[in-house]
Amino acid sequence: MEKIEYEEKGQLYSGHVACAGCAEALSLRVVLNTVGQDAVGVVAPSCLAVICGAHPTSSVKIPVFHTTIESCAATASGVKRALDKQGKSQTTVLGLAGDGGTYDIGLQSLSSAAERNEDILYVCFDNEGYMNTGGQKSSSTPEKAVTGSTPAGKTTRKKNMIDILAAHRIPYIATASPSHINDMVAKVEKAKAIRGTKVLVILVPCLPGWGIGDNAMVKTSRLAVESGVFPLFEVEDGTRYIMNHTTKTQPVAEYVKLQKRYKHLSEDDIAGLQAEVDYDWDRLHRRVAQN
Amino acid sequence: MSREPSFLWSNSTSEGRLTGTWRTASPDYRNLPSPCLGACPVNGRIATWIGQVTKGDYHGAWTTLVDNNPFPSIAGRICHHPCETACNRVEHDEAVSICALERYVGDQALEENWQYPKPETMHDQSVAIVGGGPAGLSAAYQLARRGFRVSIYESQAQLGGLLRYGIPSYRLDKSILDAEIARIVNLGVTVHLNTSIADKGGLEALRAEHDAVFLATGATKSKVLPGLDYSQPWVRDGAKFLAQTNAGEACDLGRHLVVIGGGSAGIDVARTARRLGRDVTVLALEPDDLLPAQRTEVVEAREEGIRFVCGAMMQKVDAGADGLTINCVEVAFTPGAARGQFTIAPVDGSAFTLAADAIIPSIGQDADLKKYGDLLDSAGPVIAHDENWQTSSPGIFAGGDLTSMDRFVTEAIGMGKEAAMAIARFVDPEQPAFVKPSDPAVPFKVINTAYHSADGRESPAHVAVEQRLQSFGEVQQRFTKAAAEIEAKRCFSCGTCIYCDNCYFYCPDMAITKLDQGYEVKLDYCKGCGLCVAECPTGAINMAEDLGR
Repeated sequence: MEKIEYEEKGQLYSGHVACAGCAEALSLRVVLNTVGQDAVGVVAPSCLAVICGAHPTSSVKIPVFHTTIESCAATASGVKRALDKQGKSQTTVLGLAGDGGTYDIGLQSLSSAAERNEDILYVCFDNEGYMNTGGQKSSSTPEKAVTGSTPAGKTTRKKNMIDILAAHRIPYIATASPSHINDMVAKVEKAKAIRGTKVLVILVPCLPGWGIGDNAMVKTSRLAVESGVFPLFEVEDGTRYIMNHTTKTQPVAEYVKLQKRYKHLSEDDIAGLQAEVDYDWDRLHRRVAQN
Repeated sequence: MSREPSFLWSNSTSEGRLTGTWRTASPDYRNLPSPCLGACPVNGRIATWIGQVTKGDYHGAWTTLVDNNPFPSIAGRICHHPCETACNRVEHDEAVSICALERYVGDQALEENWQYPKPETMHDQSVAIVGGGPAGLSAAYQLARRGFRVSIYESQAQLGGLLRYGIPSYRLDKSILDAEIARIVNLGVTVHLNTSIADKGGLEALRAEHDAVFLATGATKSKVLPGLDYSQPWVRDGAKFLAQTNAGEACDLGRHLVVIGGGSAGIDVARTARRLGRDVTVLALEPDDLLPAQRTEVVEAREEGIRFVCGAMMQKVDAGADGLTINCVEVAFTPGAARGQFTIAPVDGSAFTLAADAIIPSIGQDADLKKYGDLLDSAGPVIAHDENWQTSSPGIFAGGDLTSMDRFVTEAIGMGKEAAMAIARFVDPEQPAFVKPSDPAVPFKVINTAYHSADGRESPAHVAVEQRLQSFGEVQQRFTKAAAEIEAKRCFSCGTCIYCDNCYFYCPDMAITKLDQGYEVKLDYCKGCGLCVAECPTGAINMAEDLGR
């Protein structure tokens, strides 16, 4: 088996108030330790704000600025420009936001920052809903998933954030999963070395929001990758596609059956989701082939 | 710019918040037994020594092996390997080739001439061991390495017992046997060859000379097949046939041989006769799928051109001028509750005949219960003993085939070890007692198979059939180094920590501390999510209820 390898530098402290078994806390641990101490974080309201904060304590070793939900990328841009003026251009500025602050409410400021190619590393911790406020749907919530505001299952598709970002032709976009830590580390390191706007979207299964066990987030995110529901890939300059996990070895049924938000699905529903996943998978591979 | 504390800024880390109070269960590093450990007749720590092989530590692996069994090269060749049957990997793809790996390590030890360290302290007590077969030699080894004075009394001209006189060299080359025995003798064991302790008086005299006696004379009396006249020149007892041919004597039987008995001994006879150029038929009571021999033995025997007539029995033999006519009938075979027990019923109208020049009955051996008169009580077909392997005669212990119907070499080795520990304690109460592993074995369901690919097992090469029949050379070959390395990595290491760091890196609360050897849970922060347990590839961690920090 492949060993997980990165240097744990103590960038995230114990005692944070993420739920037991939280995928977001674990992913934050990996991102912060990979980025290191020479960094400033900008946090949008989200579970992240709770994990990093609970004023007056802090769970993160780097300084972080808690901003509004619509303005994470804009605030990060400003912090970066101020640091540049102070001659601290080597300092990494991290935007840390959830899917609500990225796909929905913060989309305008992220799009603007991407259009200006601001030198920030923006990390979206995507738990597919407003899980911090009780589990309402976001535009990242996938089709058929039950949330507090879609009790019969969402009727529309998950917004394709990667395609939107790719259309901005920013230098680097990647997906990552807490089940594949070495891959996540490699992507953060790669992004850190690139100038311009970099966006990492990490799938973070939400234990109460998705209805999975306290010990199941790695298994769930692994199945998301292995079923092709959440492929691991990179997009360079908005055009070059690179697959990091090239095989699709699990049926979507295995992925959805772990989660209470999909409990109501019929076999036909699952077959429909499978068809969508297969279509997207082929489309992604066609893009890889076109490189 | 001023950096004075402000109500806008955080002023402390979250480490003051002890999230361990949320917990109702906590992880517990247990290193639970693997299923192979419980199945192994010598309680070998298989997951441990295979782990040492994966690190390239062959001497360490050998040291772990010989803690329980001084014959890894021999067991790696001929053990009936209940470990592989119990292997959790069976439910994933195929069992780990434990036997072939054991042989690889054992052969490495012989190549490098690794010897046992001399005991650190010597004791004055002496133990006599009667019978230099697997049980006796195993006991001699365990007592000698603990510093006791050991004398073996062997009735034959060489040590080895069944290993030498019963197992043909195409399964176990004599040079391997000699080398693993020599290593035991080199510990300082006194050996008396051609010395039979043949009667009650002899055994009593021996008991008087020593602080304890271990009796391991095996099951030496061949069972007699009713209705067969053993005085005829065309009948040869199987054990006698094997002893003669293993000693290099010429075979004086005709061309067409019928071997009666489908156990390992019967197959050994058949394959030996085949190598002596005979046409061989095996006649067995059991149907094909219930033959008591190991499956690989049956498969290899068939490859070598041996014919099997299963589910049938001999009724009568007619000797004519140009050979024998064996009258047989098919039987309905019903296995009994214990190994070796069964009932049979002849099937009406199924009579048939087999032609042969000679018959070799090989239907098993009985222990000689009369040899020592009334000195030792018996229990059914074997010598009675208590839980410490002591017979009804104080100070006289017994083990191996003499005391058990589990007639396997490694069972005998295991009994020799357990009895030796009991004897050591009998002569020196400060010696530690043998403790049988009692924790339940790690089940397959706790192994996280995401960390284990399913590519099937490596198998050692076998010599081609045409070549096999030309000589008594070993059929099964040693693993190549590359195959051994691949195979060792297939081990799930059930219940044994492999220091992979998954628990450390998958903790969202940084609540696991890495130690030099292992890990520690920071109970101040562990929220009890169980991710470390779920993502442990070997099942070495358990969740245990924990209601208070």
